[in-house]
Amino acid sequence: MALTDYIDDRPADGVFRVNPAIFTDQSVFDAEIKAIFEGGWVFLGLSSQAEQPHDYFTTQIGRFPVLVQRDGQGELGAFINACPHKGARLAQLRQGHAPLHVCPYHSWSFDSAGRNKAIKSKRAGCYSAAFDQDDHGLARLPHFGQYRDFLFGSLTADVPPLAEYLGGAVQLLDLVADQGEAGTELVPGQVTFTYAANWKLQLENCSDAYHFTSTHPSYIRVLERRQQTFSQDVVASVWENSDYWKDDATGIGGGSFSFANGHVLNWGVFGVTPASPLFEQAGPLAERHGEAKRDWMFNMRNLTIFPNLQIAENASSQLRIIRPLAPNLTEMRTWCLAPKGESAAARRQRIRQYEDFFNPTGMATPDDTVSYENCQMGYGGGMSRWLQGYARGMTASIAGGNRFGDLIGLGPERSVLADPQLCDETLYHSYYRAWANRIAQELQA
Amino acid sequence: MTTTITLDAAQDLLHREAHLLDTWQFDAWLDLYLPDAEFWMPAWRDEVSTTQDPDRELSLIYYRGRRNLEDRVMRLTSGHSTASWPPARVLHLISNVRIARSEGQIADVCSAFVCHRHDTRMNRTDYVFGRYEHRLSFENGNIRIARKKIILLNDVIATSSDIYSV
Repeated sequence: MALTDYIDDRPADGVFRVNPAIFTDQSVFDAEIKAIFEGGWVFLGLSSQAEQPHDYFTTQIGRFPVLVQRDGQGELGAFINACPHKGARLAQLRQGHAPLHVCPYHSWSFDSAGRNKAIKSKRAGCYSAAFDQDDHGLARLPHFGQYRDFLFGSLTADVPPLAEYLGGAVQLLDLVADQGEAGTELVPGQVTFTYAANWKLQLENCSDAYHFTSTHPSYIRVLERRQQTFSQDVVASVWENSDYWKDDATGIGGGSFSFANGHVLNWGVFGVTPASPLFEQAGPLAERHGEAKRDWMFNMRNLTIFPNLQIAENASSQLRIIRPLAPNLTEMRTWCLAPKGESAAARRQRIRQYEDFFNPTGMATPDDTVSYENCQMGYGGGMSRWLQGYARGMTASIAGGNRFGDLIGLGPERSVLADPQLCDETLYHSYYRAWANRIAQELQA
Repeated sequence: MTTTITLDAAQDLLHREAHLLDTWQFDAWLDLYLPDAEFWMPAWRDEVSTTQDPDRELSLIYYRGRRNLEDRVMRLTSGHSTASWPPARVLHLISNVRIARSEGQIADVCSAFVCHRHDTRMNRTDYVFGRYEHRLSFENGNIRIARKKIILLNDVIATSSDIYSV
């Protein structure tokens, strides 16, 4: 099938439609893995996951295991996490400290800069001269880059520089990284879950303002009950302290920003509220960064750095890494993201808010993931008719930014400024335009 | 009259709790918990250890106060949660029950569990397993739960999980 059979993108006609086959076809999935996940920049983790010399963490790019480690000089590097000898996975843990990695299969060893240190019984091995000319070190990723605390890698050499790939979206990463003077960290305790649906449903749902009051009424009712019958046992919620998201709210409530390469933000006005764990820092943050940027840090913000990083700052603060496993199976690795050095009380509040909303064992995320599975079931075998979920905001989307973004100098490609009921869907266009650019060649191959 | 919690009594309470969860008798289930009860399912810090301090580390579920469990039950039974209706059919099996510590009217009880789950929506059957650590308290002639810790061993959550399915 041609790309236009998958995405019907005709701005002049006011049409943007998506073929459900993009969520079900194995050929599309294979193209995505090659052209998007293994074919360009993807998020690997935070630099604080390997804080000290010889610290490391492991992750995955597409089908490949990846080792990110800090050498003895403190320099970060990223490698394929496989021994060049027989290809066995080398580092076995999610995170650790290892001046030397010894392969558990035949004891080849590597230092934290990825150099081969020893080949067991090398002299007795009767190797040819050709073998000696090979590099026996770990395979470095063709590209590895860092923006602030955020680490990215690419398995493909032919990519733009990281700064160009991230473009203006780096300011949205700044809003996260600047919350703590000492940087950002992951709260100990990683939560992993899977759902039986396509990875792009997670991509979309993070940016989906339209679903909140429909998918999460049970959570909203719990918040209402907590407000009505105060108890010191329950945690305050930032949702209680704002109403931009309510079906009967009026005025400008937020909107969306779309950047090149598929990075998008949707946002809402939360205000500087004591329900936020950042509240204790409201003064110092305004002093350090100005009030406008401080206020943006308090706003509800759901950010996607295409294709696999999402930072959701709404009920609490979550970092997610999306990993597609099959057209109808996705793995989500999730963490509570927090500024280093916040007070014990703020950290506790952040964690409690997080568990209630974001965990797959909490009161909101299950209603999302079950909805993804309902979508996947609804798609059936793929193309039956075009999906109509990409049309809200079509006449509100403008080129460039708006007065809210201007306050912190945001320069998006497109933006929507919305009343609470608009619930823009044009920000998905940015995903699918980037998606189409990336997989076009692979689909034809 | 003795107030010491016997192994038989502890086992009976654990089996009763399992049955109440299996059969969605949540009001009776809540009655088993003391008002200031702690309900805790830690996350895993790494491959070998769970998180230890719920105020500084993430848990899969952490509540202090039965009030929070009432919120969870309200959501589950509200009819407004697509993940919760239709409910999964679950069956808890509890074994290896022993009293780890007993002092006065308090007993710390360890057990092993498997919770089988059938999701009718997806026609999917799976299971979770792990250990329970209950702190039981003999109060006014009844044994009640002061604390339940769930150490979930297979912690890659298949889509979702809730208080009745672990």
